[in-house]
Amino acid sequence: MKNFEFLFTAWMVVWAVFFVYELSVARRITQTREEIERLKQQLQQR
Amino acid sequence: MKARSTLTALVALLIFCAGYAALFLAPDEATMHAIQRIFYFHVASWNAMFCAFFVAFYASVAYLVTGKRKWDALGVSGVEVGVICCTIGLITGPLWARPVWGIWWTWDAKLTSTFILWLLFIAYLLLRGLLEDPEKKASLSAIFAIFASLDIPLVYLANRLWRTQHPQPVIAGGQGSGLDPTMSKVLLLCLLAIFCVMILVLVDRYRLELLRNEAAELKFEIESRGPDALGVASEGAATRALQKGGQ
Amino acid sequence: MTTVRAAGIVLAKELRLEFRTRELLTATVIFALVVVVLFSFAFDPTAAESRRYGPGLLWIAFLFAGSLMLNPSFAREQNNETLDALRMAPISSFAILLGKILANFIFMSLAELVLVPVFAVLYNLSLAGIVWRLILVLALGTLGLTVTGTVFSAVSAHARMRELLLPLLLLPLLTPLLIAAVESTASLFAEQPALDRTWLAFLAGFDIVFLTATWLLCDHLLEE
Repeated sequence: MKNFEFLFTAWMVVWAVFFVYELSVARRITQTREEIERLKQQLQQR
Repeated sequence: MKARSTLTALVALLIFCAGYAALFLAPDEATMHAIQRIFYFHVASWNAMFCAFFVAFYASVAYLVTGKRKWDALGVSGVEVGVICCTIGLITGPLWARPVWGIWWTWDAKLTSTFILWLLFIAYLLLRGLLEDPEKKASLSAIFAIFASLDIPLVYLANRLWRTQHPQPVIAGGQGSGLDPTMSKVLLLCLLAIFCVMILVLVDRYRLELLRNEAAELKFEIESRGPDALGVASEGAATRALQKGGQ
Repeated sequence: MTTVRAAGIVLAKELRLEFRTRELLTATVIFALVVVVLFSFAFDPTAAESRRYGPGLLWIAFLFAGSLMLNPSFAREQNNETLDALRMAPISSFAILLGKILANFIFMSLAELVLVPVFAVLYNLSLAGIVWRLILVLALGTLGLTVTGTVFSAVSAHARMRELLLPLLLLPLLTPLLIAAVESTASLFAEQPALDRTWLAFLAGFDIVFLTATWLLCDHLLEE
């Protein structure tokens, strides 16, 4: 296949970008959920 | 949760089929051969970009009309995901141009317009970062998003009119006209696949923003009850200390 | 009080304020001149090149100068919270915005009035026979610049780094206007000067779109 490197790189870029972004969002969701739990507990200690 | 896992699995399957189709099932293009296959993802990511920006536009209007924070959450999600899709389009474009034309970049109408869009919506994200008050952040960025969205057709029109006066090599040239039927089907499949991925990512980003808002509200509540909470805690500590001392 | 009358009062206030010191106007003109001179170092304009690059140069100078000049429009109001005072007056938000837009339009136009002849001299371009058509193009272009610029001045006034933010918000948005204005001006400076109707219509359309958007969104723009 001619120019395979370019095709492959493009293919990888598409999925890599989406994947990395999704990972970052998912990680932050977990972090924020934990933070909310912590804050709720703090609130209950009033 | 179950529904979400099934959905993700389905989308993953869709991606696999689309990728297979694009790489192997679609016929080879006459002049550009294999590299032309980038076209399927390239066009699909721009399509996803427009959808995401449209969501952002709709959400911005809805926020200004209703004042409900969830619309602001959807707005920022739409812009962020749109910028992601735009970035993908701007990277795959040169990756296509380089082997075909020998140059990484050309100032043709579509690429230039999309680059401007990228700058415009990055500016939105910067604006949000620089505004501190949450209410102001929501309403002012909604206003900017609306202005930016109104600009989109103007940007494309201006660049198109300008480029027909000063012709340049066109990246996505001639593909739209008279597309081979198999190619059309593959394109549709890829459009659908990337669109679904975009929606998934958008929904997740939206959930993140809603959670962030919730956390911020809780923090605010804690802070506004500040002395109380601290007083109780220190009272409890003091009582315990006295008891310990007594023993 | 009608919107027009109220806008007129705001306009008068802005003009009075500026003409007391004229510092903004002076700074804007000098800055645009600096940009024009700097470009002359970037390339050596012969007559033919001047005709080709001149209009682009001119409008870039205006856009840069404009995005600096438009900042104080609302940033000034932050100092003594005078914007609150304006808001409390029995006038519509659109009147406030319109007054400021018109004031900025006048300031920008005054700067252009000085700059265009200087530019024509520096780049050996003749203004003969095209003055009125040029004024039309300048007016439409400047209107688009000031409408969007004033709105974004109000937006960025609440943000940090507002001097950097305003150009960042404004310049990408104005690229269609830049293209249209440059093409219209270029066709006037061409061998056979002609008024390009397509681009003129585009400029007018641009102005109408964003003026309407401003009118629809003005309340949200100025709310507490």
